[in-house]
Amino acid sequence: MQILKVENLFKGFDELEVVNGVSFQIQQGEVVGVIGPSGSGKSTLLRCLTLLEKIEHGRIVVAGETMVETSPQGQVVYAPEEKLRKIRLRLGMVFQNFNLFPHFTVLRNITEAPILVGGISPEEAEATALQLLKKIGLQEKATAYPYQLSGGQCQRVAIARAMAMKPDILFFDEPTSALDPELTGEVLKVIRTLAVERMTMMVVTHEMSFAREVADRVIFMDNGQIIEEGPPQQIFENPSNERTRSFLQNYNLSFRA
Amino acid sequence: MLAIWDGAGSIRLLGLLLQGTITTLQIFLLTLLLSLPLGLVIALGRISTHKWISSPLKLFILIMRGTPLLLQLIFVYFAPSYMLPEGLSFRIPRFTAAIIAFTLNYAAYFAEIYRGGIQSIPRGQYEAAAVLGFTKTQTFLRIILPQVIKRILPPISNEVITLVKDTALVQILGISELFRVAKNESSRIFSTTPLFVAGLFYLFMNWIVTKTFHNAEKKLGYYK
Repeated sequence: MQILKVENLFKGFDELEVVNGVSFQIQQGEVVGVIGPSGSGKSTLLRCLTLLEKIEHGRIVVAGETMVETSPQGQVVYAPEEKLRKIRLRLGMVFQNFNLFPHFTVLRNITEAPILVGGISPEEAEATALQLLKKIGLQEKATAYPYQLSGGQCQRVAIARAMAMKPDILFFDEPTSALDPELTGEVLKVIRTLAVERMTMMVVTHEMSFAREVADRVIFMDNGQIIEEGPPQQIFENPSNERTRSFLQNYNLSFRA
Repeated sequence: MLAIWDGAGSIRLLGLLLQGTITTLQIFLLTLLLSLPLGLVIALGRISTHKWISSPLKLFILIMRGTPLLLQLIFVYFAPSYMLPEGLSFRIPRFTAAIIAFTLNYAAYFAEIYRGGIQSIPRGQYEAAAVLGFTKTQTFLRIILPQVIKRILPPISNEVITLVKDTALVQILGISELFRVAKNESSRIFSTTPLFVAGLFYLFMNWIVTKTFHNAEKKLGYYK
């Protein structure tokens, strides 16, 4: 089943085109890694898909429901608010800076949306949250506040918070970029677990080895366009495009340095 | 100075000052009760991207913060009877005029404090709430406002302390609040003592204000 379909997506800020005609699809259970240099439009693309930014042209379909499309006259039309609200619930997002709610405990960070937005009973939401906490290895932190956690722990809670809404697809915007190197492992481990469970995910990342290991498919973006996409082996070992090659080469060099 | 050092004199003075204090507290509490919510509404309007909402409020804040509160008191009291055409003009009770002027003035100051607080909350908090499906109202009331309140407590306490002392200004409208009572008594007995005793009354009230805010800050100190 197709979870996400993006057609000819454009998004710019002022004069600058940031996403420049992007099309791709994601099937249920697929893990897609998105790599590319800074400023290549990866994050903006995610923000368009999660309704944090309005697109300027194109079409986005989530699980068969049209979220936004462009009329033949070039008018961008979003679904009505009620439908948009339903579609939004299918999308989960994990931010680079976690964005946990500092005034809520870990548990309440996870239960607030299911209770308030999902209409689930507090008891049920709490039970689900505790299960998720167990899964990410942080049961004992249920009553802690975000400031008492390490960055890695915060990000794991942020993943649990997104998962608690049972999204059809989970987006990650450079989930380990704000973390100290020794903390990235625990976050990647959680994402890996989700991948094993066939959670549909789209992960923007600079962790090349992680993308290579976990992704079913890798998308390389540059200048707001998809330059190349395919299975990780192909992208990493035998890239067909010159720009992909030079990007990965820089990466390898900087790793050795 | 010596005139009040007999028991009857002191009791009489304390009685008068306490009466004045009741009026002072009425003005203080009513102003807070009205201006704190009004300030929030003004702040939200001031932040609005609609210019027809934010521009008039900007001007309002400029005027309220840019002219003497004393003058505003006089304006609110006299404007309805002097500035309105005959037939429409009316007299406004002194106490009501004082409350209106104080509320508008303090709401302007509070609005700017709220605005600073609201704008200091990182974008990410709004975005996280949006992605989780919170409505705008839910986001503001559950995620943003609680964090704003924690951040603005210190500047708000400053204003509240000033408000306790500013109540003395309403004597310009002939309202017998604490300071006016003390001043009258002072003239009557040819002694500055009542004024300094009144000073102790203000100090005591602000000691309570300070303690209250200190406790509130402590209570909200459970997170960072």
